[in-house]
Amino acid sequence: MKMVKLLCVLAAGALLATSNASAQNIRLGADVDAGTLDPRVMRDTTAYRVVNLLYDGLVQLDASLQPSPNLAESWSNPEPTMWIFNLRDGVKFHDGSSLDAGDVVFTFETILDPELKARFRSLFTPIETIEAVDDLTVRITLKEPYAPLLSYLDMGIVPSDYVEGGGDLSSNPVGTGQMQLASWERGSRIVLEPYGDHWSGQTPANGFEFVVVGDNTARAQAFEAGDLEIIQSPLSPQDIGRLVGDDRFQNAIMGGLGITYLNINVSDPLLADPQLRRALSMLVDQETIVGQIYEGVDQVATSILLPSSWAYDASITQPTFDPEGASSAFAAAGWTDTDGNGILDRDGQDLELTLSTHSEDPNRIQALEYIQFLMQENGVNASISISDWPAFSAGVRVGEHQIALLGWLNIVDPDRLMYAQFHSSGTLNWGGYANAEVDQLLDTGRASIDVDDRIAAYQAAAGMIADELPYFVIAYQGYQVFYSGDISLVPDARGMMRSAARN
Amino acid sequence: MLIYTARRLILFLPIAIGIVAVTFAIMQLLPGDPAAVLLGEDASEEGVRDIRQALGLDQPWWIRLGTYYFDLLHGDMGVSYFQNQPVVDAIGQRLVPTLEVAIVALLISIVIGIVFGVVAAVRRGTPIDAFCMLFAQLGVSMPVFWFGILLMYLFAIQLDMLPSIGRGPPLVPALGRALMGNPGDLGLALMHIAMPALTLGLTNAAVISRLVRSSMLETLGQDYIRTARAKGLAPTRIVLVHSLRNAMLTVVSVMGLRFGALLGGAVLTESIFGWPGLGQLAVAAISQRDIPLIQGVVLTFALAFALVNVLVDLLYAVIDPRIRYE
Repeated sequence: MKMVKLLCVLAAGALLATSNASAQNIRLGADVDAGTLDPRVMRDTTAYRVVNLLYDGLVQLDASLQPSPNLAESWSNPEPTMWIFNLRDGVKFHDGSSLDAGDVVFTFETILDPELKARFRSLFTPIETIEAVDDLTVRITLKEPYAPLLSYLDMGIVPSDYVEGGGDLSSNPVGTGQMQLASWERGSRIVLEPYGDHWSGQTPANGFEFVVVGDNTARAQAFEAGDLEIIQSPLSPQDIGRLVGDDRFQNAIMGGLGITYLNINVSDPLLADPQLRRALSMLVDQETIVGQIYEGVDQVATSILLPSSWAYDASITQPTFDPEGASSAFAAAGWTDTDGNGILDRDGQDLELTLSTHSEDPNRIQALEYIQFLMQENGVNASISISDWPAFSAGVRVGEHQIALLGWLNIVDPDRLMYAQFHSSGTLNWGGYANAEVDQLLDTGRASIDVDDRIAAYQAAAGMIADELPYFVIAYQGYQVFYSGDISLVPDARGMMRSAARN
Repeated sequence: MLIYTARRLILFLPIAIGIVAVTFAIMQLLPGDPAAVLLGEDASEEGVRDIRQALGLDQPWWIRLGTYYFDLLHGDMGVSYFQNQPVVDAIGQRLVPTLEVAIVALLISIVIGIVFGVVAAVRRGTPIDAFCMLFAQLGVSMPVFWFGILLMYLFAIQLDMLPSIGRGPPLVPALGRALMGNPGDLGLALMHIAMPALTLGLTNAAVISRLVRSSMLETLGQDYIRTARAKGLAPTRIVLVHSLRNAMLTVVSVMGLRFGALLGGAVLTESIFGWPGLGQLAVAAISQRDIPLIQGVVLTFALAFALVNVLVDLLYAVIDPRIRYE
């Protein structure tokens, strides 16, 4: 049912977008300023959203995350490790120069160069070589078959001549996108104007103005005061309630591309026991966390697969909130309260745990405190550790945590959330989870070009993960947008305007 | 006085060296790696290692600190890890907006603080005095972020009088144009700066009004004031010329210190009103462990604070001609 609702919202957004989009100048609230407008090194949400309008990628992800043609008119996959892309002819960058295969090669070669410090470099490291066959043909050769590649090729293509000639894309971006930079007042606003020579002949709006207001409530108030036309996640739950009740505004809740989860460290001596992990998972009251703390914007998660993904299977489920079941599971794992102090113990040792998260997100802190309360009520002596993101992530990265609450974003392909996280050789497998069968399934999912084979592999792996619980997925993150009544262009589920304008 | 000023400014050099060392030490002790933050949640070990090398973070601390001092002496504050631009440029773009708010806020706080303080002292023990001191109490106790949100709710949403967010035209050029007979931009600039400056200024005004009141009460009880009254001077002249001028010494010395608080308060005010200043930049830099940018912002704040305090010292001599600096 929720899927149907989501599709309706997306379809409605796309319909709205085509009706009257090009006549407006739209001011959008942003929580941070963009650090850079170079797509290769962008890091923050504002940069993603602005860059999405300034640049085009080889492909574009549609509402169901399927790649569709963009700068590449077509592509083929003659061998499992080779992709050929045929570029659109006559595409021009904002500086008037023509796009050719050399620009595509330059974009990815520089991303792969560690000197550039590109955040998304790891997504492209399976590329062995990328070469220009002719002016409009690009050949990518992979070290090994890598099916998710296509989902990552919406990366904006940059003009090689401009960059090599000393042009600074960070502050003077030059892309082939429908909009071009008009002005950028650092820390305050980024103003975009239509690019008249765009190959599609379309522009989504007369102008966009991304206005930076760091405080969530102040941003909501600026929207109420009529100084912004669109605000979108992140928003404070208390503001959402007020804005929903205001009939001057419309809003849409869409399934986002992120999860909020508990990372249960399987290399911790205590948590190495899957029975204990199962018992603890039964103490996470997802319904209350999602309904009360996230005000129903997020959805209760059932597995590691996102509902918006082609690999989703509703029948794969993790344990649900069940304190009585947890009590039996603790007993089965050998944990009972033998000394009557209210805390479960085994071999004379009390069951003590540390839950951790980062200080930047008050909702996560509240969720963690609620989980701590439930654990304490049920005989687990749980304490909490909160530190800022750099300190927290440094600890988690080296596996110093026991149970950490955090999230993943931009999961455009199941590989993005599973390979590095659960493969025994995975670079983000902080807890050291190892299961040979899961390894094999993830290798299959990554290497196979056949979608059905990939679906089968990811569903099987997700089933095992839901059973062994190195992760307990609390929520599928939702994305909410509010827009004033006269706006006819609504961002898609990633907060992007480009795909909404063209769908 | 010139020699005195030069000496004070030269003294800033060891202070700057100390500030850099202390900031550097704090950043060293804080857990968290800029390279890991730079690469985001999905950073690989190899990626982090490469970035650490590219940023020079794999060097021993004394080499990094020495290099920073060396570059600083050559006017180079380094390149921000996250903004991809020289620290000097990043700060340059944000410094003026922050100074605009801080200075307008200081002016607001001086005017309101002195008026309320003087009135309360002259009308000591009356309901007017009680009202002024209630204002002071409220001003001191109100958190800046809450007061800012309240102002925005009142003036932008309910009364629709002021723009809720953003900065208008730069204030100083707008002032220049207004003096040339074109006041449009100045009006716009003032409308934008009104709420951020009021938010900061009223809290500060509360502190100043209490100080003015107590200094005024002290001077009003002095023998020379009684003499002035006996001579039949107008009460306004007695209060404003004879009493207030002497009471101002305390206020001026506190003003220098309060300027630091205004710069600190800018961090919160800027994020509420979408003001493109150093405060927002500082918060982002700290949460990202952007070491060169943090060093730069801290140094800039320190320099601004030191300069204002030198100015305050010079102001003493203007207010009280008996004070001379050798």
